[in-house]
Amino acid sequence: MIAPALTLAWTPFIDPIDANAFWYLLIIPMAIGIALAFKAVRVGEMRKYPRHVAMMTAQIILGVVVLAIASFIVIDKLVPILTPMPAP
Amino acid sequence: MTPGSNEGFRPIAALAAAAFPGAGHLVLGQPMRALGAAAGVLLLFGGGLFIGGIDAIDSKEDRVWFYGQALVGPITFGVDWAHQNHFKAIDTRTKQLRTGYPTETQTTDDTGQRVWRPLTADEAAAGMGPPNVKGVGRMNELGQLSCTLAGMMNLIIILDALFPATRRRESGGAS
Repeated sequence: MIAPALTLAWTPFIDPIDANAFWYLLIIPMAIGIALAFKAVRVGEMRKYPRHVAMMTAQIILGVVVLAIASFIVIDKLVPILTPMPAP
Repeated sequence: MTPGSNEGFRPIAALAAAAFPGAGHLVLGQPMRALGAAAGVLLLFGGGLFIGGIDAIDSKEDRVWFYGQALVGPITFGVDWAHQNHFKAIDTRTKQLRTGYPTETQTTDDTGQRVWRPLTADEAAAGMGPPNVKGVGRMNELGQLSCTLAGMMNLIIILDALFPATRRRESGGAS
């Protein structure tokens, strides 16, 4: 069977989105999804669930931001000092 | 052992969790946990499809990623089946199944196989093209990553449904 809609129009869940300008913000829904799933099986009392999800989401995002800053410092600042390249 | 029991080895709950995210905790009598688990896994999986398109799930071209994504359950196999059987077609030159280029459309050859053919000028002017756009670059990576994270999280949920007694460090209250 041939897929019926043979057009170039963007179709959600079929075609990729064009979020290249703000791709780094996609960490937010991913962090929320991870926290929702993980805390569903980790919290003892479900009334604490929303607070735990919010905290874990913030921890993931903060952790990734810290890693990004650390990577930037190592690659952009430390490596040029440790292994200087000759000027072109 | 009662249906809502939080102890022991629960293979039926694990099978239910493998069939659909969160279903294992429904079997264990914990609907709120089931809802949270399903929401998390389906947000990651649906989000991955939204970001990367259907090309984020591809058992043929991205097999290693697919192993992780398969842990979401039959949903992944259904999406992959649709991708392979409704969105890809044969390249007549290489005889390989692939996603179409923007200048191609699907047709069937004499043997009934789906194959790609170039668009005519009229079809191109009418905005026709392949049924989906191939994901490339960051959008493809992030879509695949999100769907694979969904599988990894569902593995944790399946194990939790299988061994509910080893789950919580806090007081062991059910939902």
